[in-house]
Amino acid sequence: MASNVVGKRRWSGAVKQVTKSNFSSALEQIKKHIHESDFIAISTQPTGDFSGASSPSSHRHPWRRVLPVDTSETAYLKAKHAAERFELLQFAICPFRLLGSKVVAYPYNFHLFPRDELNLGMPSYSFSCQSSSLTSMAREGFDFNACIYDGITYSSRAQESVARDRNPVPRMRLMTSSSSPSVADSVFMGRIKSRVETWWKACRDPGKAVDGSLVLSLRKLILGGELYGSRPCLGIDVSSDHQVQLVLKVVGQICDDLVPLIVPDKQGEIKTVRLILTSSEDDKNLLLTEIQSLEEEEDLKVRGFREVLDVISRSHKPIIGYNCLHDFTFIHSKFIAPLPPSMAEFMCSLRLAFCEILDIIHLLKEVGPLRKANNVPAALSYLRRQFFTPVELEIPPQVDSNDKNHGHNVLQIAYLFAKLNNLLKIVPDHQPALEQDTRQVKDFANIFYPCSTTLQDSDDEDIGSQAEKSKKFGTDNVVLLWGFRAGISAAGLKRQLHGIHSVFSENFELQLVDRTCAIVIFHVPGSVENLLEDMRSGSIGSGSLKEMMSDGLKVTGYEAYKKVCRMGLWEADLAESLEMVSSEQTDDLPSNCKNDTSEIYWSSELMINLNDI
Amino acid sequence: MRKQWLLCVLPKTLTLARRSHPFSSSSSGGGVAVKKVTKANFESTLEDLRTRVREADFVAIDLEMTGVTSAPWRECFEFDRSDVRYLKVKDSAEKFAVVQFGVCPFRWDSSRGSFLAYPHNFFVFPRKELPLDGPAYEFLCQTTSMNFLAKYQFDFNACIHEGISYLSRAQEAEALSKLSSAYENELTNSTNTSQENLEIPIVSTADLLFTERIKNRFHEWRNGIMKNSCTDHYLKEEPGCVMSQFQTVFFKMRPAVELNGFNSHQMKLIQLVLRKHFEDLVFIRTPGEEVVFEKKVVYTDSEEDKALLMREVLEDLHRSKEARVRSAVGLRHVIDCLVSEQKLIVGHNCFLDIAHVYSKFFGPLPSSIMEFALSVHENFPNIVDTKHLLNSSHALQYLMKKSSKSLSSAFSLLCPEISSYPMKSAHASYVKFEVQADEAGSSNWTSGAKHEAGFDAFMTGCLFAQECAHLGIKFDLSSPLTNLATNEKLKGYINLLYPSWNSGTVIDLTTGIEKPESNYKRKYPTVLFSNIVLLWGFPSKFKPKDLKDCISKVFGASSVTSIFFLDYTAALVQFSKKEFVNDFLMLKDTLERNPDDPISVLNPLAGLLEGDNTRAADYDTYKTICSSSASKVLFADQAEAAGIRWKTLFSSHSPEAGSSAETRLHSHHVSCEDIIDTLYAARSVS
Repeated sequence: MASNVVGKRRWSGAVKQVTKSNFSSALEQIKKHIHESDFIAISTQPTGDFSGASSPSSHRHPWRRVLPVDTSETAYLKAKHAAERFELLQFAICPFRLLGSKVVAYPYNFHLFPRDELNLGMPSYSFSCQSSSLTSMAREGFDFNACIYDGITYSSRAQESVARDRNPVPRMRLMTSSSSPSVADSVFMGRIKSRVETWWKACRDPGKAVDGSLVLSLRKLILGGELYGSRPCLGIDVSSDHQVQLVLKVVGQICDDLVPLIVPDKQGEIKTVRLILTSSEDDKNLLLTEIQSLEEEEDLKVRGFREVLDVISRSHKPIIGYNCLHDFTFIHSKFIAPLPPSMAEFMCSLRLAFCEILDIIHLLKEVGPLRKANNVPAALSYLRRQFFTPVELEIPPQVDSNDKNHGHNVLQIAYLFAKLNNLLKIVPDHQPALEQDTRQVKDFANIFYPCSTTLQDSDDEDIGSQAEKSKKFGTDNVVLLWGFRAGISAAGLKRQLHGIHSVFSENFELQLVDRTCAIVIFHVPGSVENLLEDMRSGSIGSGSLKEMMSDGLKVTGYEAYKKVCRMGLWEADLAESLEMVSSEQTDDLPSNCKNDTSEIYWSSELMINLNDI
Repeated sequence: MRKQWLLCVLPKTLTLARRSHPFSSSSSGGGVAVKKVTKANFESTLEDLRTRVREADFVAIDLEMTGVTSAPWRECFEFDRSDVRYLKVKDSAEKFAVVQFGVCPFRWDSSRGSFLAYPHNFFVFPRKELPLDGPAYEFLCQTTSMNFLAKYQFDFNACIHEGISYLSRAQEAEALSKLSSAYENELTNSTNTSQENLEIPIVSTADLLFTERIKNRFHEWRNGIMKNSCTDHYLKEEPGCVMSQFQTVFFKMRPAVELNGFNSHQMKLIQLVLRKHFEDLVFIRTPGEEVVFEKKVVYTDSEEDKALLMREVLEDLHRSKEARVRSAVGLRHVIDCLVSEQKLIVGHNCFLDIAHVYSKFFGPLPSSIMEFALSVHENFPNIVDTKHLLNSSHALQYLMKKSSKSLSSAFSLLCPEISSYPMKSAHASYVKFEVQADEAGSSNWTSGAKHEAGFDAFMTGCLFAQECAHLGIKFDLSSPLTNLATNEKLKGYINLLYPSWNSGTVIDLTTGIEKPESNYKRKYPTVLFSNIVLLWGFPSKFKPKDLKDCISKVFGASSVTSIFFLDYTAALVQFSKKEFVNDFLMLKDTLERNPDDPISVLNPLAGLLEGDNTRAADYDTYKTICSSSASKVLFADQAEAAGIRWKTLFSSHSPEAGSSAETRLHSHHVSCEDIIDTLYAARSVS
């Protein structure tokens, strides 16, 4: 029944939809599928994005999108900005196996909602939504009620450790060896010892078991004993971590059948050590497993959906995504820890969690020349036209099939990867290479492109009609220009600039970034310094450049743009942000940044078409 | 046909409705027919509502939002200074979205001796409906608020799928002005054909082939038309070729071709080819379905005809855009109706609601509370707050005793007739209400539930009428109601709102002046803002007590009057004397300048400065940080996002000028860079 037809309809109902109510059963299932898989495809759906292909509304801040003039660093900062702002409502995961030309896929779509289960302001206090994103989800028939009422919550690794401290769940703790006790400690230990022993003896003494309820409650009052389940238990108040250790030490000396539990209060401070009396060795083991499973249950409740990502992380299976910079900034910020300030740190931290990530965009570039396949369907149709790569997709039916088709993107990604893999012959590390010219996953892994694309389907795509020509430029050949007449076209501005300074008489390229700001690339090295130096010193004569400058024209190097991104000055208009940083003295830039010129891929067709706005 | 659902006077007529939705025992009364309004029935409802509002004696409103505070430290605190408090309300109204808007007109029907109420529940969703680059269609959701809405079965699907969108007055004006300037531009451009370069930039052989082919096609098509004008002409079918879609249609009495199936690059090439080679063929865009334009090539037989066509097309375009703007105004039509009818508006603790109405439907919120109040007053000359009435009327206070002043509890206490079931015998002092529902289209009627804007508006209105009765306003059978807004007994309560639930003040909308409320019981002693130091970024292990101990060791046991933690990264410290503020800041600065000096190390404050990230400033800095548009969860992060790079900021208060006027004395303490940082922190605010 599998065919090459790729479409939502064919795959509708194939994706298992997971919410809070069926999460634990789905978790067991997906664990198995992840374990058996060769690769895992993922796809996420945020409440908003700046990449903007989805709708005109995100054009409001055209420059916040990842642009062709972005270096990987600025692209990361833009992705970080989006990831910190928006929330993920759907996370599709599809473990799959490759058997020759057959793909055996097990797609899941998890509905998420950041519910503060523990009342700790986690996982998020608030999040942003773009109405265009929600509207397009609505168009696909997304059930927001199901998502908000019944979405699975989660916490990041960093949040979990905070929650562990603040969530008052009793835990067992190993004793750490401590230095010899002081006098005060000895007194404290002596007191605890006699108290515990009295209680212990009272509990052990069978003679009193027949006492009346009055006596029982009196004894409870005097001894402070209570019950933990059906077992007797005693709470000991402590005021510090040190005292906890002392109590544990004392308890260890008294008897083997006591199990100490540490109970923190709401603020995460330890207030009580609870001693539970067990009747035998077996009983004690029983209690220990009981406590452990309780702890695990509690931990899972805190981790929520992240448990799935932890399973993926532990499996060390290669992860396939489309536009991974976008997806993994979200994943890092929601499920690992707050995003670090630089791309390098981000990649480092990410690699600790997920060792091999394959970006379809990178694989596409390996297959063909750098070209414009803006989304998954476009890439698929490109492949279909250019190569013969028969791939059969098999989706074993899941028990509870449904009529929803959310998360089918992940199937497209798996399918696309299988097709690409026919060409690239990537072999999972654990499989022996049977054929020649096979390549390792690690040859392709962890290369992210600054790419301004989304997974939106779009019917009229420019495919194959134009080979994109892009050239590499160093960022030291780039200046940003603002303060010109609003509403002027790029060609008009270029004409205006032509010849007004020696650098503008040579060939240069100019495009508008938004209504207020243009970017200029010079072909002649050194032009940037020339222009900036002349403008600074004022040696620009009295020609039209001076006129334009007195009308407010301003020029700055690429460094200012980087600084804008680094400082997070995401103003509506880029000119406004640039104005802010350039009003500062230039010499406060760290010197190491100045010499750091990165390369950007510039194509003559800038991705923003202002007419579309 | 209308059916009367009488709640008090004619209980029998209610039985049917009652059975299906029995009133719940106490607070959350159900069984009241509330009209659910979405995109689908908005137009028809609007006409009906206009009439209801015109006839109404007062209109109750209520809003449901996606959140209240964008960060924990943005919550309103009792000791907030008035301007800071307003900034917090402003931030909330700007960042969160309204998802439900409840409107309930009430009319006194003297012949029945009861109020007729018409509760409406509008689902709202700020959708981008115009292709212009307008406002940010981005809003914040507070997770706890979303969960709260979910707990009361809020229908998010109805909201996002079918919610009514809106444009504020400012947005509408902007859209219209952009439209007309775009229109003028296009008009001038169309007459001026020699613009831009006519060179076709051929970048690939594919482009070259395409342009040649398209040129031939258009030649053929035009020749065909010239030969046998007025008969349908089909191009020769060429299998697999895009041109086979060429088919002559008529557009404004002229032969034309619809361009389908070309991508944007090809469209550009087509336009270039037409401009270069065909003087009599015109490329036009006409408004089609949704946002997309239909693209056509039209044959014109003369220059004049061409100009005429262009004008006609542009006029059509303009008209359709204007119509779109009008329809995009959406929910604001309801607000416009309330404003133009100048009715008495009733809300419960409605300052934030009014701020939302202002920012969503009028325009950007003013920067000061006084400006805001006066501007609101211009639009709504009479607003009354039922909560303020409860608190300030002695008669009502007596009735309420000590029970909660929340809407639902006040409603169930004062209007037990409606809120409880089984019904008690109608007491004379209870005002009677009837809810009217239109039987046609019953799917649009829902049974009201607590925390649903339509039903909350209904409760608010009932509560208000009941309050009026307790104040001595008579609602008698067969006597018409005089204007409530000018009623002597109500006079002292109108246009007074609480800026926040715990401010202890009321704002008079007619004057814009905020005054302390007489019978508000303060939890904290009065705050002297000039005695306050704002501290943030200190080690997280510091608890209020540690902070107090630490400062007291330096400035004396009684130097600290109070300490309030905004969150675990920031605190406000109030000193007993104003001088301590500067002394503290000065000392902190000195210690930081000489960190290795033994005196610095031994100073009790050294612990506070650990981590080298502790910042301090006066209360005005707190205001600056509050006004920053960023919304970080932790105050310390917010301060950084607001562009603060310095560690200590001094200010001195000239004794004559009092606390409001001050001059900053930071020239020698703060570097030039710091000043600039602060400047653009202030800029990012504006």
